Amino acid sequence: MKAKRILAAVLAVSTVSLFGCSQQKSTDVSSSGETESGTSSAQSEDLSYANVELGTSYKDLKADIKFISHKTDLVNADYNGKKFADYFAEFNKMYPNIKVNVETITNYVSDTLLRLQGGNDWGDVMMIPAVDKADLSTYFLSYGTLDEMEKQINFARTWEYKNEVYGVPSAANAQGLVYNKRIFKEAGITELPKTPDEFINDLKLIKQKTKATPLYTNYFAQWTMGAWDAYVSGSATGDSKYMNQVLLHKSNPFTNPGDGTGPYNVYKVLYDAAKDGLIEKDYTTTDWESSKAKLNNGDIACMALGSWAFSQIVGAGSHGDDVGYMTFPITINGKQYATAGGDYSYGINVNSSKEKQEASMVFVKWMTEKSGYPFDQQSLPIKAGDTKYPEVFSSFEDVELVVDDPAADGEEDLLNKLNSDSELNINAGGNDKIMKIVEHASNGDESFDDIMKDWNEAWTKAQQKENVTVS
Amino acid sequence: METNALGAKKRNAFNFKKWSRSRNGQQTFIIIAFMIIPLLLLFVFTYLPFGEMVKFSFYDMKYVGRRTWVGLQNYKDVFQRTDCFAALKLSLYYLLGGVLQIILALYLATILSFKVKLGNLFKGCMFFPFLINGIAVGFIFKFFFTRGYVFDTVLQWCGFSLQNLPYWLKDQSVNNFSLMGASIWRYFGQNMVLFIGAIMSVDGSMYEAAELDGANKFQQFIYIILPNIKSIFVLNIMLSVSGSLSAFEPPYVITAGANGTATYFVVMDRIAHTSQKVGLASAMAVVLLGIILILTLLQKLFFKYVFKNAEDDNPKKFKREQRKLAAAKGGAAQ
Amino acid sequence: MTTKEAKKRGILWPIIKYISLIFFSFVALLPVVSCVNTSFKSMDEYRNTNVMQLPLNGIDFSNYVKAFKEANMGRAFINSGIILVCVLVGSTIIGTQLAYVLNRFKFPGNNLIRNLFLFATLLPGIAMQVPVYKIMHDLGFINHLYGYIIMMMGTDVISIYIFIQFFENIPVSLDESAILDGASYFTIYRKILLPLLKPAIVTSMLLKGVGTYNEYYCANLYLQDKTKLPTVATSLYTFVGPRGSEYTLICAGVIISLLPALVIFILCQKQIYSGIAMGAVKG
Repeated sequence: MKAKRILAAVLAVSTVSLFGCSQQKSTDVSSSGETESGTSSAQSEDLSYANVELGTSYKDLKADIKFISHKTDLVNADYNGKKFADYFAEFNKMYPNIKVNVETITNYVSDTLLRLQGGNDWGDVMMIPAVDKADLSTYFLSYGTLDEMEKQINFARTWEYKNEVYGVPSAANAQGLVYNKRIFKEAGITELPKTPDEFINDLKLIKQKTKATPLYTNYFAQWTMGAWDAYVSGSATGDSKYMNQVLLHKSNPFTNPGDGTGPYNVYKVLYDAAKDGLIEKDYTTTDWESSKAKLNNGDIACMALGSWAFSQIVGAGSHGDDVGYMTFPITINGKQYATAGGDYSYGINVNSSKEKQEASMVFVKWMTEKSGYPFDQQSLPIKAGDTKYPEVFSSFEDVELVVDDPAADGEEDLLNKLNSDSELNINAGGNDKIMKIVEHASNGDESFDDIMKDWNEAWTKAQQKENVTVS
Repeated sequence: METNALGAKKRNAFNFKKWSRSRNGQQTFIIIAFMIIPLLLLFVFTYLPFGEMVKFSFYDMKYVGRRTWVGLQNYKDVFQRTDCFAALKLSLYYLLGGVLQIILALYLATILSFKVKLGNLFKGCMFFPFLINGIAVGFIFKFFFTRGYVFDTVLQWCGFSLQNLPYWLKDQSVNNFSLMGASIWRYFGQNMVLFIGAIMSVDGSMYEAAELDGANKFQQFIYIILPNIKSIFVLNIMLSVSGSLSAFEPPYVITAGANGTATYFVVMDRIAHTSQKVGLASAMAVVLLGIILILTLLQKLFFKYVFKNAEDDNPKKFKREQRKLAAAKGGAAQ
Repeated sequence: MTTKEAKKRGILWPIIKYISLIFFSFVALLPVVSCVNTSFKSMDEYRNTNVMQLPLNGIDFSNYVKAFKEANMGRAFINSGIILVCVLVGSTIIGTQLAYVLNRFKFPGNNLIRNLFLFATLLPGIAMQVPVYKIMHDLGFINHLYGYIIMMMGTDVISIYIFIQFFENIPVSLDESAILDGASYFTIYRKILLPLLKPAIVTSMLLKGVGTYNEYYCANLYLQDKTKLPTVATSLYTFVGPRGSEYTLICAGVIISLLPALVIFILCQKQIYSGIAMGAVKG
């Protein structure tokens, strides 16, 4: 289930989405004032997402398409939910002549990049890996203009460049912590923690009063550590501009702001937990698959994972009722927020044949609107206007979901550059730096402030290299 | 082939005919015919990508997208970064492992080269780990080193108590030794088989003569076996130097290079994959290649010196042994 | 006095000898034996008992059946078999021919070519994957068994050196007398030298065979269609992802994957040693 490295890799590069979507509101497209749509009428005869009418358009199209996915679990015979094959079978009821062949990849991020650089016949639909936005049109077909697409889907700006949309998110998630309600209760915790200090205290209580591992890091799986990066933006700041705009120009962003918010305090939670022995004893041999069952039955009190993990953990044992989901314990001016955003997005090969592109477009739209796939994956609604929220978000009543705003014009790829230069790779698979926090805290060989100092230096250097104005 | 030659003769009835019939002509023909495929393969799958890699090392580039020429900047970075050369320090573990591995292999090879009950069974057992593929090695050793699992259990049988045992992969003072152990485990059998082959080539009558002279087994080892396999032995040690510098698989499959176990190549891999600095990673590869080449050169000088003083000096044999080891090394790298 | 010492050593030495053999065989087998042991357990039993405790229900092959099916190992064995046969035959032909030419003929560039092959062993394969992928794609080799097979033959330097070394031990006078009889060079290679190379061929095939059978990196990259083109090595990737912790299944898969290699090694053991030994004869 490495598959679900959702935020780690995706939000990552991508970043963007225009509107702050909160639970009650479904969509709000009004803020896209700066986008222009002068050419939209010219699209009518061209292939576009908006023009596809499921069940009517391309009804007689015959095509075999190849779909490359990161979801290795959905082809597994033992998977206890709907598998790809099930979705495809339903799809074929509406489009009997479009055959979808799926290939799932374990090392998704690096393998797909290799395939992209290797040539343009990798298949027809893939989940867009970490490419620069400026290169999107080299590899992927536009679904339509931003204007058009925002009427069709939420999170349309996840892979938008120069007013064209190249990716449709397969799902969207909010960030928080999965926890075991029974264990929290047994430890005497009556109210969910709202600040890092409260959280660490609660973990200590759990350690004293129960046998559960307070916070399980899933260090060995690596991608699981990406959750900590994901908290940095919305959850830790409540600022939708933070990730793609503020962070780029902020001097020493990893300094303690002193009010218990910001990236510093996110990573400090992990450091303190590791330092105080509130994590598993041997983090080098952790086991992702069994951790789900352990949280379910109360051997583990909580884990840092995106909302997608909730249903898996509920289903991993016989105590699904004990499993809860909470937002990250940071409070900004009395209010709690949670980072939210699009997951891996479908991209269509710009070099495929016309028929295959049409078939792919139909398939993507069907997966988004008719398959029920996003809901099955405990995703926030993808189809515009859809208001059906999965169960996991029931605990988010007082929490505002924050979707990252896009970068300013001309800075679309700046975050990628800074990430690469600094090698911090925030929200871009930079799991090793987070693992080092665990190591340093456990070994006691570097203080947290020193680690943050190193990160600040790396970030500053990267900003200098890219000539970023810093404030 | 004869028919081919005939065909060639018929088609070219002039001077070429004479030439092609001559030994010289046939020689040229066979040289070209036999070499064209292997050279083509070597060029396409080794030197062409190598050239590309060297080219990459002068660019600031990702997997996909534009590249910018940066000259020697990547090389400067390799030397200025703290993590690149710090990672080479880990090579010392693998070097030590390599030496231990050779000594162990030689010891066992010596035993097994003579009459031993169930000798083939023992050989098979010890060569066994070499047959296992890398992914499986990763599974096996995570399993092996997990707290309270295989290794801990066996040590408990031996009277250790679990409290006194370290966490084999977590504890940074031992985890590189754990990986070194896994590396020895994987490759000592292969070394041993090579040594057995070399020892078997020693003329059997020499032992008989030695025994008649009253030499014991240890003396036989020192005075007969060792001189005869000296070159393979010393060369093996030198090869383990380059092997340890480029150690990759044990940390990669067992710990993914986390927790202070990232060797030079693991760091390189991470720089290429996570940070997508393909240019820098290429430069790292070129730098390491340079280091290995220098060491290989030093090794050659060293052997020139050693073999000048050796009584049974035979440059031809030396050359051959050297090639053989290169071959053996290639096998290990697969 | 001396005889007494000798006698003493005569008893002591075998003891040390067998103890070390048994000990190191144990060390070599322990990780694998623990794997076998676990492969016979059910998931529940695995969770609740020590890993080294023998399975309660004795020998139960259900994990093997499951692993074999889920990892598509039937198909994987067929593919690996095809790959092995082709690569071994191909690299043996290429290797012996090249070695023949390099060893028997003096021509300009002979040394250069030898050095090119030698140098190739030092090149870091992992660092070159980006350009190699591009080349494989441009040749249309991706997702085809033949593409992977050709690439695997191309990377072979081992066999060539084993063969060159062997040719050096075959007296040139053999060739010369054949030439006097009017044999062509190809006949000499095919009819006279190749049969003499048999031990070297077995050795190189074994080393190359183990390498090819276990090669997972390129197989994963270039044989992308995992339903049609799994190899035994890449089929183990099935257990990396969602199956990451079902150790009972993983262990069964690991054991299945190494059985064929083990069987072949046991069958060919003798030839290997003699192959190496003959290579080193007549220094």
